[in-house]
Amino acid sequence: MSREDILSKVRTAFIAVLEHENFELSDETTANDVDGWESITHMMIITEVEKTFNIKFKLMDLMNMNNVGDLLNCIESELQA
Amino acid sequence: MEFVNRLQKSIEQHAKLNVLCINGTCYTYKDFAQQISNIRAAVINKIDDSEKLIGLVTNDDLQTYASILALWLEGKAYVPVNPEVPFERNSKVFEQTETKYVIDSSENSIYDDYEVIASKELSDTNINLVPRKIKGDDLAYILFTSGTTGLPKGVPITFDNVQALVGAIDAEPTFNLVPEDRCLQMFELTFDFSVVAYLFPLLAGSCMYTIPKGAIKYFYIFKLINEEKLTVLTMVPSIINYLRPYFGEINAPDVRYCSFGGGALHSDIAKEWSDCLPNCKIFNYYGPTEFTVYSGFYPYHKETATKAHNGIIAIGTPQKDTLYLVVNDNNEEVPIGETGELCLGGPQITPGYWKNEERNAKSFFEREENGKSIRYYKTGDLCLKDEDGDFLYVGRADFQVKIRGYRVELAEIEFHAKSKSEKKVNMVALDITNDLGNAELGLAIESEEFDTEIIFDHMKSVMPSYMIPMHVRFVKEFPHSINGKIDRKELKKHFDLT
Repeated sequence: MSREDILSKVRTAFIAVLEHENFELSDETTANDVDGWESITHMMIITEVEKTFNIKFKLMDLMNMNNVGDLLNCIESELQA
Repeated sequence: MEFVNRLQKSIEQHAKLNVLCINGTCYTYKDFAQQISNIRAAVINKIDDSEKLIGLVTNDDLQTYASILALWLEGKAYVPVNPEVPFERNSKVFEQTETKYVIDSSENSIYDDYEVIASKELSDTNINLVPRKIKGDDLAYILFTSGTTGLPKGVPITFDNVQALVGAIDAEPTFNLVPEDRCLQMFELTFDFSVVAYLFPLLAGSCMYTIPKGAIKYFYIFKLINEEKLTVLTMVPSIINYLRPYFGEINAPDVRYCSFGGGALHSDIAKEWSDCLPNCKIFNYYGPTEFTVYSGFYPYHKETATKAHNGIIAIGTPQKDTLYLVVNDNNEEVPIGETGELCLGGPQITPGYWKNEERNAKSFFEREENGKSIRYYKTGDLCLKDEDGDFLYVGRADFQVKIRGYRVELAEIEFHAKSKSEKKVNMVALDITNDLGNAELGLAIESEEFDTEIIFDHMKSVMPSYMIPMHVRFVKEFPHSINGKIDRKELKKHFDLT
């Protein structure tokens, strides 16, 4: 799966959780840039992403995830595992 | 005031130790003493003796914590406001307390209409931590919680109230902090649970670790447990509900104490969490803001102390000097084993809601016991007492719910949602349980679908983020129960979050 495909599916997961589409996602995007993305919705997004890609993140990876780029990297490495 | 004297001694004695670690930077008790003294000098210079209720913008920094101590040494109260909450709501708080002075460590304070003490810009003065003489019935803080009419409701707490809390926790032999302890302080300072999360570490000379604003708090807490080897955790149950999918990866042998409060702790998750903390004592605390944080606890143990009701861990027994009473609608005590409303009496009880006689008449009552008149606070929580004298939590008596530990009146959300809507339609706020067992807010609107942006923009401008509904459903006709009331249970089925 290409990084663009992953990003597109991640965006769908964000929309499902946040219930709006008023945001752009790039590698540098953080929770501060997206309306409604905070601690609780982050947990819901993570669950949604895990379901979408049929993967399970490790707590150690989630602990150091600071932006959308980190999220995409984790998905990529989980998909390869 | 004994506890303020003890704070002074502890800060002086532990000068070389760390008091706070904030976003990777640690500060010593000596740094803390310097900041307290600087802010205190500004308070003495700038604020009239008669001004007792001082605003405090709760940033996540050393100065904000130092401000609390500076005010206490001067016998004044802090009125905390969260900088992330809309200005309009915060200014309503200051309006109610007639606060003229605000201590603010922000780079650019938005409180221009007030006299601001910019606590980050003060120069160093001589260290002076000797408290002045404090009257016990003077206020130590006022916290504001959700109110039904759109106006936040103030809960004043006196120095005597705080002293009684400290006395009760001191009397508990199984909980003793030491200077080597590393403690989690995850609470916003406008939330009453923060008081125990900073007060007991400060009294013991321990170090606190805060959660930076903007961090994903669940993972940050795990990071602190894992990397900083925290020994004392004080938290709301929703934290572990969200961490639950990852329990298999958590093993924290350094944690000695884990105190829960601010929401129901469920048996199944308590057991699993306990497995992650092999050397830890778990306390299930109970207590409302109106009774100075804690009123009692149940000492949970996954094998030997698992008492629960409908899957919710018992709240145990009242602590020193506190009285529990379970009553019926006429404020009469009900027999053992019967459910009623839990009422609390004793020295930790608030003097009453701030300038709200109507509410006070409903929430407090006097009762004759052994020739003495005891004042009780009605918690709104339904409980029962068992044969062993343990109290068990049954549920809420009203439309107040807990969202991430915060008390929310559903009526306040409905009030704000309806106030800016062009369509005059029925709206009901509901607490919905998601698949992790946490409560989230939903808004049901009795209408065909329409754009809710204006409604949400308005709600975000007047309420903190935890009060904004995360889910909206349009329902053509609300279900009603046989007595004509909106059937909230049925309405909740429109929100499928699992």
